[in-house]
Amino acid sequence: MSKFADIQIDPAIVKRAARGDVRAHEIIYRAFAAPVYSLSLRFTRVPAQAEDLVQDTFIEIMRSISKFRGEAALGSWIRRIAVSKALMFLRSAWTARGQSLADDWNDVTPGDVASHGVSSHPDMALDLDAALANLPSVSRTVVWLHDVEGFTHKEIAALMGRTESFSKSQLSRAYQRLRPMLAASGDEVDGAGAAVRGC
Amino acid sequence: MSSDRKDEEMICGLTADERELLQTELKGLPDAMPPRAVWQRIREQAEAEGLIRRAPMRRPMTWHGGVGLAAAVALAAVLVPVMIDTPEPGGVTEPPLSAPSNTTQVNALQALMVESRQLESDLRSLPQQPRVRQAGTVATLSEIEDRIAAIDYQLNDPAVQMTAEEEQIFWRERVRLMKLLVGLRYAQAQRTAY
Repeated sequence: MSKFADIQIDPAIVKRAARGDVRAHEIIYRAFAAPVYSLSLRFTRVPAQAEDLVQDTFIEIMRSISKFRGEAALGSWIRRIAVSKALMFLRSAWTARGQSLADDWNDVTPGDVASHGVSSHPDMALDLDAALANLPSVSRTVVWLHDVEGFTHKEIAALMGRTESFSKSQLSRAYQRLRPMLAASGDEVDGAGAAVRGC
Repeated sequence: MSSDRKDEEMICGLTADERELLQTELKGLPDAMPPRAVWQRIREQAEAEGLIRRAPMRRPMTWHGGVGLAAAVALAAVLVPVMIDTPEPGGVTEPPLSAPSNTTQVNALQALMVESRQLESDLRSLPQQPRVRQAGTVATLSEIEDRIAAIDYQLNDPAVQMTAEEEQIFWRERVRLMKLLVGLRYAQAQRTAY
């Protein structure tokens, strides 16, 4: 489950925020700033850009919260805004660099990720963070949206303006990069599991 | 998770076990808080765009408001030690709500203040945090403490005016967060004990 979904806010505070109450907005900010910032940081890797995305996200929340009807959880609604802002930023960054989404893999130095061997869970967390950071931004984004935030390939395709196959292909390539880490911690995986299939 | 979804996940180059391990580790990566200046920037932009109302000045406290607050503090001072120290005859534990009969006479706001104070006391009674801690737990605890601090700031800021209803909303949120904090710290203490 996404961390956004774990955060609960009293509906009365949301109502007050909808009326423009700065105190209620600050409570919502304190509750969601960490997941929004972390998501932005994982997508962009640059703290200053992530901070700008946090600002954009919360300003959008302030603009739109009066339209929030509570049909979905507040966390899901905020996550949607944060993802949308982050992808918009990434699209502009990709465009500015004159790159298509697909050739993002050209930036990756082979072996960057595979060199991160792991032996225990705390180390693995650090290595996984580094390994994730070394993935091309598109793949990193797809991995995070799919495996952490629970988006489907169809939803990711729609968000990125691409096809489902594109999303699956990015995920597959990312897994190939991350797999050596998992193999290094193979003792902790219970059994060999299912056979590996190709994409 | 449906079997279709599982099949779909297996076609991307990882075994089901590897996939599960990866997802667990990814979800366990700790969150980070943005620098404090970010909220200030958001607030300035929101004020400039007219998206938020500036907090009004607090009215001078009326005599009955002062009496109410003093009563809540006095009640907390009396009830909390009683609830903590009174031994239960025969080992029977009564739910805290059924303790003294005059609890029912205090209003909701005062009850929340008492509950909040009780939780503070519960928190203090837990052992100190261990020196070696899980990064994820530390981040979560610090995030909750931050949220409680933000609420305390709002409740104690003499520059803002709040109605009793508003105060009740903030106190209710404070109690909810305190319960979360106590629960997490208790779980942490349990883990350390084993």
